[in-house]
Amino acid sequence: MIHIEDLSFTYRGETRPALEHITLTVPDGGFLGIIGPAGAGKTTLARAISGIIPHHYPGDYYGSVTVNGLDTVDTPLIDLSRQVGMVFQDVESQIISSVVEDEILYGLENFGVPKEEIPRRIDEALRQAGIADLRDRSISSLSGGQRQKVAIASIVALRPRVLALDEPTGELDPRSSRQVFQLMKALNEETGITVIIVEQKIMLLCEFARQLAVLSGGRICRQGETREVLAHAEELENVGVNCPRVVTLSRILTEKTGEQQPVCVNLDEAEKMARRFIP
Amino acid sequence: MIQLEHVHFAYPAQGPSVQDVSFHIRKGEFVALLGANGAGKTTTVRLIDGLIRPTAGRVLIHGMDTATTSVSQRARMVGFLFQNPDRQICKNTVREEILFGLKATRGEEDESRLQARTEEILADFSFTGDEEPFSLSRGQRQRVALASVLAIEPEILILDEPTTGLDYLECCHIMDHIRRMNEEKQVTVVMVCHDMEVVLDYAQRALVMAGGKLLADGPVREIFRNNPVMELASILPPQIIGLGQRLGGAFAEEDSPAGMAGAILAAAGKGGKRDE
Repeated sequence: MIHIEDLSFTYRGETRPALEHITLTVPDGGFLGIIGPAGAGKTTLARAISGIIPHHYPGDYYGSVTVNGLDTVDTPLIDLSRQVGMVFQDVESQIISSVVEDEILYGLENFGVPKEEIPRRIDEALRQAGIADLRDRSISSLSGGQRQKVAIASIVALRPRVLALDEPTGELDPRSSRQVFQLMKALNEETGITVIIVEQKIMLLCEFARQLAVLSGGRICRQGETREVLAHAEELENVGVNCPRVVTLSRILTEKTGEQQPVCVNLDEAEKMARRFIP
Repeated sequence: MIQLEHVHFAYPAQGPSVQDVSFHIRKGEFVALLGANGAGKTTTVRLIDGLIRPTAGRVLIHGMDTATTSVSQRARMVGFLFQNPDRQICKNTVREEILFGLKATRGEEDESRLQARTEEILADFSFTGDEEPFSLSRGQRQRVALASVLAIEPEILILDEPTTGLDYLECCHIMDHIRRMNEEKQVTVVMVCHDMEVVLDYAQRALVMAGGKLLADGPVREIFRNNPVMELASILPPQIIGLGQRLGGAFAEEDSPAGMAGAILAAAGKGGKRDE
């Protein structure tokens, strides 16, 4: 479980806090989406969860973040990294090997995983990431989506309890973006890993995340179960988060009929809602 | 304005990436180029920009063949906004950045005139000019890149995924500005974009590519309703159009949430009572 209690953080040299009074709980096995306009503090929050803040980025830190009972301020980063794996938007910056298998091996060796266990871990990570067929490929021959899956596999091999991803689909096309989300969903369901994902693609978040946190100006302006949050579509639009258009359709129908309509997160649900009206 | 005639292009040591593509874009059009990764979209916009030349066929800009026009001639006519603004920003202040681009393309003009043009575009984008590009947010840096492209007053503006990495408001700022240039100055816009809601909101015409070939060409709303084309190009149409296609009949005409809500309520009204 991740528990954030009244967290405020100001980067050294800055006057404006990047995060203010954040309180948030993510249950074990949860799937949380973090969304908000540029500069809202999304990346800072992901860094605080992984412990990179305050260990790598100094600044004024108030409040606390605990990951599975470990306070991130008191726990060395090396121990935290066994709990939380982090995946970044810029795939290139986190891949260091030239062949897929070596990339996964590298992390396992660094974590001191016993030699005899390594082959099994590599097999498992490749299978879980759905890239068993890419094992011997050179990374330079892979597409952006495939590279991001390699980055995820190399983190998953370390068996963290939490996976934090900072805009992992930022540079991917719609099909690869969806595949990354499908992979996170499968990992979440199969291994029970907690997924925390910072993302701008609201349609994907709505479909895959069970919990949403909306950030604006360093504060959480809305958090809760995904549909609950989306029920406040107008408020989200005011802070610069556009809702999927089927959500807007639910909102307009709710206003016009005076009856609460279901908050639809995909076309199947929107079709069901529409058909209830159509004789 | 932009004419491609049976254009082929192959990168060295790779298969063909554009095959027998022909189309004609007129002055003042706002065209979106759609298709999956590897469909040939980026190659096509590079051919229009003259960054690469066709291995067969012709690309004509204003009737001039890109095979024979100079880079500087084209740079005055065609502005190119890349996906990543950091690829085109190289100066320490926004003012220097814009002036740099102007001197590179309109160097033959009076310096005072280029300076005046710089101030004009700074005002247009509400920049003071003293901002340091790399201390700005990604969305602001993309606006700097757009400002320096528009400063040159190109007749054709090419956008390669201009809204990637931007949040919703930043995306609207960029796209609204481009629409204004298109409507007021008749700038011809050719845009590669993966966000179909943005395409629906801003573009008038869509060219769909798959496997290096031109698959379809027509008004955006018609193209999005062409299910076989959408499937072949592996494109998910905008949500409301997708919903309309599923519901059929009059619903298939709608493309906005408000319009769809109206159609749904009208249908419910005609049927008298709802079933719940």
